[in-house]
Amino acid sequence: MLSRTTMRLSILTASLFLVSSSASAQMTFRIDPIVFQVLETDVDTNSAKFEEYRDLGSGFRIPELFIQGVTPDGDRYLELSGENVGREDMRFGMRYGVWDSYALSFDYNKIPHRFGNNALILWDRSTPGSWTLPDALQQALQERLEAAFPAINIALLRSMIEPLLAEGDRIDLGLRRDRFGATLDLGGLDGLSWKLGLKHENRTGTRAYGASFGFSNVTELPEPIDYDTTDAELKGEWNTAKGGLQFGYRYSKFENNISTLIWDNPFRFTDSTSANAYQAPGSGTIAGSSRGFADLAPDNESNQFFVSGRFKLNSSWWAGGSAAYAILTQDDPLLPYTINSSIQGIGFGGQSFDATNPNSLPVSSLDAEAKTLSLNADVGGRLGEDFTLVFRYRYSEYDNNTPRIELPGYVRYHGVWEDIPRITVPYSHQRDSISATLGWDLSPANDLELSYKVSQVERDFRETKTTDEDIVRLSWDTRPISWLTVRSSYEHGDRTYNEYVPQAAEASFLEHGPFTSLVGLRRFDQANREYDQVKVWAQALAGERWSVSFGVANRDEEYPDSEFGLVSDEVLELEAELAFMISEASTFTLFGHFADRDSFQRTRQSAATPSTSPSNNWSLLATEQNDTFGAGYFGSVAKWSWKSNLRWTRSDGEADFDTPPGGTPAVAVDFDNYEDIELLALDLNVEYALSEAAAIGLWWLYEDYTIDSFILQGLQNVLPGALILNADNGDYNANVLGAHIKFGW
Amino acid sequence: MKATTRILGWLAVAGGVWFLVPSTPRAVAGAQEPEDSARAEYIGAETCLTCHEDQGQGMGPHGSAAFTARGIHGCESCHGPGSLHAEDPEAWQPRVTDLSPAARNEMCMTCHSGGEQMLWSGGAHDRRGVSCIDCHSVHTPQGAGQLAKATELETCGSCHGDIRAELWRNSHHPVREGKITCSDCHNPHGSGNDANIRHATVNEQCYSCHTEKRGPFLWEHAPVRENCLTCHNAHGSNHLKLQKTSVPFLCQQCHSNVRHPATLYDGSTLADQARASNRIFNRACLDCHAAIHGSNHPSSPYLGH
Repeated sequence: MLSRTTMRLSILTASLFLVSSSASAQMTFRIDPIVFQVLETDVDTNSAKFEEYRDLGSGFRIPELFIQGVTPDGDRYLELSGENVGREDMRFGMRYGVWDSYALSFDYNKIPHRFGNNALILWDRSTPGSWTLPDALQQALQERLEAAFPAINIALLRSMIEPLLAEGDRIDLGLRRDRFGATLDLGGLDGLSWKLGLKHENRTGTRAYGASFGFSNVTELPEPIDYDTTDAELKGEWNTAKGGLQFGYRYSKFENNISTLIWDNPFRFTDSTSANAYQAPGSGTIAGSSRGFADLAPDNESNQFFVSGRFKLNSSWWAGGSAAYAILTQDDPLLPYTINSSIQGIGFGGQSFDATNPNSLPVSSLDAEAKTLSLNADVGGRLGEDFTLVFRYRYSEYDNNTPRIELPGYVRYHGVWEDIPRITVPYSHQRDSISATLGWDLSPANDLELSYKVSQVERDFRETKTTDEDIVRLSWDTRPISWLTVRSSYEHGDRTYNEYVPQAAEASFLEHGPFTSLVGLRRFDQANREYDQVKVWAQALAGERWSVSFGVANRDEEYPDSEFGLVSDEVLELEAELAFMISEASTFTLFGHFADRDSFQRTRQSAATPSTSPSNNWSLLATEQNDTFGAGYFGSVAKWSWKSNLRWTRSDGEADFDTPPGGTPAVAVDFDNYEDIELLALDLNVEYALSEAAAIGLWWLYEDYTIDSFILQGLQNVLPGALILNADNGDYNANVLGAHIKFGW
Repeated sequence: MKATTRILGWLAVAGGVWFLVPSTPRAVAGAQEPEDSARAEYIGAETCLTCHEDQGQGMGPHGSAAFTARGIHGCESCHGPGSLHAEDPEAWQPRVTDLSPAARNEMCMTCHSGGEQMLWSGGAHDRRGVSCIDCHSVHTPQGAGQLAKATELETCGSCHGDIRAELWRNSHHPVREGKITCSDCHNPHGSGNDANIRHATVNEQCYSCHTEKRGPFLWEHAPVRENCLTCHNAHGSNHLKLQKTSVPFLCQQCHSNVRHPATLYDGSTLADQARASNRIFNRACLDCHAAIHGSNHPSSPYLGH
């Protein structure tokens, strides 16, 4: 496939060629608009949340650009567009085409995604996939632990690390996607058209990664990201008056340019083994690996063939269908069990082997292959004067044909060989569903629809072999009076499983010991479930100026037979919207959305063996309230125009725990910051037209964001059993002032 | 059962075709038409524009020279022959908005029946009486694709207010920032797939951008492979990474093994630093189970690295 550079050069060359050839074709060009803007930004913190997906730093940008050229006969056109030119979030587009012949388009899209700023890190990045500490430092810390052993506690570890962090490096965590796309559209050859699409995306940056050495030594690191994804698609389309057919081939390749991550253990310079690798460094042991070792996302490929079509059977009936078949492959070389040189692996026959040697593995790569097949078939149309009917059948499967690999054991937390033979589990599943939908035009203003759907999911290697679900849905759309539309629906679903084998959860064990989980069903994706869903939405139009809509929706999911796990989940939503056209040139809108969610889950705390005592149960009722409110005004008077938007969104969550007395845990403490978040955003844009071709304007963006989350509560770089990045993605208050001049010719 | 279901499915479809095809076609409900409308003749766009000049401004492709040059009847391509209206504007009002949704759509699909619109018939928007001009404007388009509103988010959000609100939640895809749009994942004109997603399954849709999660992996996480929406809400969430509820409680909705998976991590572990557990703060479970979407490491049956 094309390399990044080749593709960029190709796009540039093609663009220049097209522009020059277009000019010679005597196109008339129009630039409308091109906007030059200067921003002045004031933010009170360094929170990454402010510019999560955008670039609003002080300086210059071209927020909007559109150039259109067309020949006098209208046959040829050229369009160039740009957004936020000169910025981290810029986008360019270009389309060149000849009517009835072909169209060529390019798209370049930069998408930043900032996770957190100013993360504090102890390590140095020696190579793209390696975070290292100076040997002398590692050695000194290990010796200090050896001297203090067994008097190792959290305070000591903190006192060892905190002074070092004072000299640590600061790093901003975030990714950037650079997307290039090119499409060639060849249309109208005797009803047959072709489309060739190429896309390349490079993702670079870092994101937080849990690089743990055990329960007492979680070392969070920036995961280095350098991904390339190349996609190609060739699609044909055949159209006739009776219907059409689309068919094609889609290829996708993912390449990870940093396939492994190696990082130094801050508390260990020499490799050693640890009894269970959970507790080091602690009063029981300070042993472990000097380095951690992770396999980052492996390269993979997908090849897919697809076809879909729809045909008129007669003047009122149609039939359609689609099929897609894909082969997903992955054959990255497998890494060795560990890079801890002190660990000896133990084979199936009891013989020792070098666990750091990849040749000790039973296979050198997985040679993984999964096939997916999706089929849709539907037929529908009118049944007499007043009825419509649609039958639909769907089938999809994920068939993982990857060979099962038997491994004599594994290395836990880089510190100890676990002589527990395991076998990989290539999960597969299939889904079938049949539905029939009957529509009844009760009157010109009343439509009823009743649908019934039966679906089944069949799974390999899971606790339930099959689940069956019946879904009934009734909807009623009515326009009782010319200015009122009401849409309503009720849906009921009932899912059951036919067999439950809890031990299937341990399908990756070659030798089964005592079962380590509660036997009660706890997988909400397979559990028996009943749900009811009601939706009502009404819109009233008062003349041509007023529009008011209201909506209410409720979904209540119950898992009646689930002793553990998710037991119920209910969401109630209300929404309202008002739009008022003040004049031909100005409109005012207002909307609000309010959602309440209650989800209830239960489990039972166990020690070394599954508890059978209900007194060890505990439950969580998580409640979330989400309110979103918005208002907008767009208007113009004489040479002035105004756009403004206000958004306020707030979430308020609580975690209410409950546990019966006398068990373990005996006490449960609630917390009320189950993600309490508030964002107020106001933007105003005022423009004054200097002439028909030019305008000047000011833009003001104000945002105030606060977050109070239990996840982030009291976070510091060093916490018990953890050395974390603690990047800033919290509160901010920002003012962005922009001045712009706009031209249009 | 799987084979039986499939066979029954095909039989139902085949039976439906056999049984229903001979049924009576129903006339598309149209606007009020004068009895003698059949004698109406095309009068040309120039005639229309003598009175309706404002309607011809800013039309985009439908007002272009290329459009009229292809033997299409300009305004009358959609509004029908206009001679009767020209003779007596009050007697005959050829307004497309007076037509039923099905009739409006049929008119648009005279030209736009292929491409994105190929699977329109029978889709959710078709069945619920949504018409092309509910979203698109031929005369005064404000956004790309002849949208009546400036953005897809505004267009789709006008009916799907719940989704619009979710996009304002703390964790979201960059839709409101304009870096991706609703139609990157959904084909509102109908795709034949659930929720009109473009790819055959939810996971294939997600993999189109998150290719690193496509696998297959040495160690798989079954519910991840089955449906990304088991754990994530694609439109927005107030929990990290679009999670439906927050870790560790999300994980505990399925995992109740002995020792730490089913341990209570409550407010007491937050209030007192001495009791703090790294299984509730920060990335919680994911600090150790970092490869939660699947791992290719031989020593990672618990999806650690």
